[in-house]
Amino acid sequence: MVKKIVQIKNKLGLHARPALLFVNTAAKFEADVYLGRDDHEVNGKSIMGVMMLAAEMGSKLTITVKGLDEKKAIKALIELIENKFNEE
Amino acid sequence: MAVKNRKIKCKYFLKGVPASPGIAISKVFKLKGESIRIDPTILKDSSVDDEVEKFVKAVERSKSELKSLQSKVAHRVGQENAKIFDVHQLLLEDSVIIEETINAITKENRSAEFAFYNVMQKYEDTLNGSTADHFQNRTSDLRDVKRRVIRHIQGDRTDHLNQLSGSAVIVTNDLTPSDAVMLDRRKVFGFATDLGGRTSHAAIMARSMEVPAVVGLRRVFALVQEGDRIIIDGSEGKVLVQPDEKTIKHYRQLQEKYYDTNRKLEEVRNLKSLTLDGKEIELSANLEFTDEVESVKSHGAKGVGLYRTDYIYLAKKELPTEEEQFQEYRKIVKKIAPDSVIIRTMDLGGDKLPESFLIPPQENPFLGWRAIRISLARKDIFNTQLRAILRVGAVGNVKILLPMISGLDEIHECKKLIESAKSELQKEGIKYDPNIEIGAIIEVPSAALLADRIAREVDFLSIGTNDLVQYLLAVDRGNERIAYLYQHLHPAVLRMIKQIIVAGHQEGVWVGMCGEMASDPLATLILIGMDLDEFSVSPIAVPEIKKMIRSTEYREAARIAKKVLQFERPSEVERFMTKIVRKKFKDLI
Repeated sequence: MVKKIVQIKNKLGLHARPALLFVNTAAKFEADVYLGRDDHEVNGKSIMGVMMLAAEMGSKLTITVKGLDEKKAIKALIELIENKFNEE
Repeated sequence: MAVKNRKIKCKYFLKGVPASPGIAISKVFKLKGESIRIDPTILKDSSVDDEVEKFVKAVERSKSELKSLQSKVAHRVGQENAKIFDVHQLLLEDSVIIEETINAITKENRSAEFAFYNVMQKYEDTLNGSTADHFQNRTSDLRDVKRRVIRHIQGDRTDHLNQLSGSAVIVTNDLTPSDAVMLDRRKVFGFATDLGGRTSHAAIMARSMEVPAVVGLRRVFALVQEGDRIIIDGSEGKVLVQPDEKTIKHYRQLQEKYYDTNRKLEEVRNLKSLTLDGKEIELSANLEFTDEVESVKSHGAKGVGLYRTDYIYLAKKELPTEEEQFQEYRKIVKKIAPDSVIIRTMDLGGDKLPESFLIPPQENPFLGWRAIRISLARKDIFNTQLRAILRVGAVGNVKILLPMISGLDEIHECKKLIESAKSELQKEGIKYDPNIEIGAIIEVPSAALLADRIAREVDFLSIGTNDLVQYLLAVDRGNERIAYLYQHLHPAVLRMIKQIIVAGHQEGVWVGMCGEMASDPLATLILIGMDLDEFSVSPIAVPEIKKMIRSTEYREAARIAKKVLQFERPSEVERFMTKIVRKKFKDLI
């Protein structure tokens, strides 16, 4: 299992489009992906779940990945967030 | 709420959020969005399986409908805008929603529409509870999906927008993304909605399609009748229902003007402000509120030459904190980057002081406790603002501008306070700009006479003509009896401006102007000719001034300035300049 705390950097936060990108990226991997905010955790492959976190700019999220390709998966997801979902 | 005033007469006058600029004058088409009827009856056990199947089929139909909608939209407004339907598609594949709905059907014997409605409503409520405005706006995605599936469960396949025959303004409770993109630009002249904000899909789509829109009107849907005459002013956020002929005529003129300005904007937006003989003159914008920041760029200004921070102190009863100020400045600085933002420190006290300053009204406020005089007396307030400005200097290109400077002691004192704010931040390990540039506004005649000495202490000067004219000519421009004496083309004013510019250049600093005079076309040539380095004007004035700069030779302007400085009376200057400007810029005046 790998775990990492990341901060949302794009201006509009994890709204519909970034949520879509996150879920689509997570879906490319075998590993299970979970996304947590405060004490609330959702399935990182469910768009409804990710949208419900309503993570605005500056919020801190915990990505947890479990499975064979977990290292690759977490790397791709972190990159997506660091690149602000190519929004700015 | 019938409204009568000089220009506006109509049955209802509503104000909302301006979501997409432009003016539409048309008929109302009421788009019924949320009127979903849900059947709450409990099903017999025997019909539960059929109900599940009904739901699954409705989801399938919705998905294929989305697919065809998406390709239409991609074709019409671009792939990027069509992405939102990927989200809808994925929502319909989300096992959470599907399972919860099927559970409610099989375990609670609910109808498919009731079950699905409640599941979606639950998520919508969660998102609505979120603090950020744009997350609340995004519930329109969920509503859109909810509506689509329920329409299919109920066997209704008609697309409401297809019923639109003639041209009209769409009035609806909430415009969902699918409605927004299915608008036929040839038939839809604009839209007005009860819900939504500037970042809602509807607003974004409307802007990308250049349809005027006003959102967040709360009750427009309930107030209008099908076929009512309606005017939408998407630039101002106004909606007029059943206006009279005169009002319509007035708005037709505004509409013409809007198109005209747009054409002008297009022409010069991306061009440099260069004279015909290649002298570059900085043309920046004055900024009073955060929402104006978009128009700085769209009007082709280079940065912000004067950011008035006073609204931050007027917004609420308590004084603004350092963090609040920092966040507010940051928003603006980031949007204007890489161009610079010149932040003027608090300039209150001329007319009214907010309660938070705790002082009684003054006898003669314009000669009283105001601007830098307050800042130097209330060092706590000043320090908070300086820290916020210094911090935002680390985020982008920022300069400090000090208002109402009347002599050198004030400059020295301010510089000392800026230095001590810097060392505080340094000690606390907070990022700031150690080399921030400092400028003084020259608006008090004593400072104008000492401009050379002040210039040695600062990095730039900015001439604030509004107050300079009032103090130099001893004219209260708010007093109607003597307002005619308030003339920025007065020879004494022109001489003083010339002197300030010469003094600044002699000491090696640039000189700008941030008062209203900078946007007076009659003054433009004179100021260019006097070697003014920077004009800071309201965003709307930028295209006009830029056009004038671009069609002028610096050498010619210098000749004009020289000539004008020999006149004795304001009326001579005005007559002379009117003649030149009329001849040279026929289409501008």
